[in-house]
Amino acid sequence: MKKTGIYLDNCVTSPMAEEVLEAMLPYFSERFWFPGSFISTGESTNEALSGFSHTIAAAIGARDDEIHFTSGGTLANNIAIKGLANAAKRGHIICSVVDYPDLLTNAAYLEKQGFEVTYLSADSKARIDLQELKAAIRPDTFLFMTTIANHVVGTIQPLAEIHEILSAADHKIFFHADAGQAFGKMPLKVGDYGIDTMSISAHKIHGPQGIGALYVRKGTSMGQVIHGVRRVDGLQTGGLSIALIAGFAKAVELIFNDLAGSISQLRELSDYLWARLKKKISYIELNGTEGEERAAHNINVSIDYIEGEAITMMLDMKGITVATGSACASQGLKPNYVLMAIGKNHVQSHGSIKFTVNRYITKEDIDYTVDCLAEITEELRQRSPLYNAMKNQEK
Amino acid sequence: MQYTQKVLDHFMHPHNVGKMENPDASATEGSPACGDQVTVYLKVDEKSKKIEDISFLSYGCASNIATASIITDMAKGKSLDEAKAITWRDAMEALDGLPPVKVHCSVLAADTLKSAISNYEIAHGLKEVPNFSKETILEELKKIIYPKVGEDIVSLKMVKYVGFSDGEVLIDMNMPAFDSWRENVAEEIHEHLEKYPEVKNIQINFP
Repeated sequence: MKKTGIYLDNCVTSPMAEEVLEAMLPYFSERFWFPGSFISTGESTNEALSGFSHTIAAAIGARDDEIHFTSGGTLANNIAIKGLANAAKRGHIICSVVDYPDLLTNAAYLEKQGFEVTYLSADSKARIDLQELKAAIRPDTFLFMTTIANHVVGTIQPLAEIHEILSAADHKIFFHADAGQAFGKMPLKVGDYGIDTMSISAHKIHGPQGIGALYVRKGTSMGQVIHGVRRVDGLQTGGLSIALIAGFAKAVELIFNDLAGSISQLRELSDYLWARLKKKISYIELNGTEGEERAAHNINVSIDYIEGEAITMMLDMKGITVATGSACASQGLKPNYVLMAIGKNHVQSHGSIKFTVNRYITKEDIDYTVDCLAEITEELRQRSPLYNAMKNQEK
Repeated sequence: MQYTQKVLDHFMHPHNVGKMENPDASATEGSPACGDQVTVYLKVDEKSKKIEDISFLSYGCASNIATASIITDMAKGKSLDEAKAITWRDAMEALDGLPPVKVHCSVLAADTLKSAISNYEIAHGLKEVPNFSKETILEELKKIIYPKVGEDIVSLKMVKYVGFSDGEVLIDMNMPAFDSWRENVAEEIHEHLEKYPEVKNIQINFP
């Protein structure tokens, strides 16, 4: 794969693996058929799809027929959340203030439709408050949803404890998980945590853009959200690209053939990045938590006295792509809601930089990135009234 | 949304940046909480009342740094009266424009320059400390940019009524309920007016 610059925003999307492209090509041209019965073309696609479903199901410890293909993680989240709400008709939902926008916007929509929603708070590491969860459960609570690995600071939610609390309730509460940032970045078997529905996406693990999947535990009753002709899947009706599904399965295979190895490679890179940052840049702090409770690919830091949009633009000119929680870089001119919800102040949010690594990143890439960032930090601090004021006080 | 080449040039290589030792006047506007802060330093020739030297510090994004850079260029060598007349629109034009959502950054730089000049004039007996009035509120509202189009809320006729008595500010706004920038504009109004000790309470009414 030809590398163009150093891309460290892999939580948004990631470069597609060459093997994935190869796996897809036949399905764009000679094997383009949708599934069908009794005729060779349709049957051969049925067979291929079974294989792809199996690969993906095995990765999360699901049955093959529990995997539903969708055109991405957001579609999967919508089909699950709205589908469960449609089936419940009314009632109470629990999620948290640090959840992924897919979950929060669906929750807000359902509130308008008459459902009630409790938004749990999170601690300074973005872990949801389990006491609040216990207290929030009501007789009409039918859905709990969470973002397994936080999309901003990488914090992994305490799934075992959540499972315990939900199973202790005296009625069934569905557990929907957004695994967008968790899939392929941590060991994750749906059965271990009583997860009923879970969204995953291909392009965050070097698969193609435009394809994802929803795991639905067998026996879960869900209302139909997308109506129309059934081509590939009964939940997202209509056509879905078989080629993209083939690519998705290949991407999963590449990671899950050696999941432990894939995870430790990402973690080594992240740990190395944080160690270098700490060493080369003063007044810097890690947002979120350290160690196993953090998704392996995520490092989020706040650099004091300077602003994130300026940092990201200067890094961009050096060929490095990162993200920031600065209000100035956001469309709505608001500081990042997750950082604010975990008690960071405006300056920490404005000065936050999120790095998310992928398997093609090298330690040399990280050295170069940290060297550039150290230079940029120095330059912007020289321009900053906040830094100058702090230095004056030190004198 | 893209920055012009001029913005990028001034952002990467800003002119007149740095702290000035023993300035004749200075001013700081904005706050870290709003995401941007600018300090402007002036050296003024006492006789000619011309700006001999000017520099700035900026905590903020690219457009913030770029506007501070160009506006200090524009003010250098000008008389205080000429420099006072430089508006955020002038700075923005000199940068070949800014994305609408970034126009508010240019206001901060222009505002800080004006404040530094005003501080000089007050310190040198050239003007009195202005009285706070309804006019002050209007002047402040003119500095608030509606991020969707990059124009100020007064020019856009979004302000229907301004009242002020006994420390109470009352503002009636003309922004429909579906406008997603309501909260942002309200926050801006608070930030701009709360810095005045004369303001005790601000009430903003939306239709």
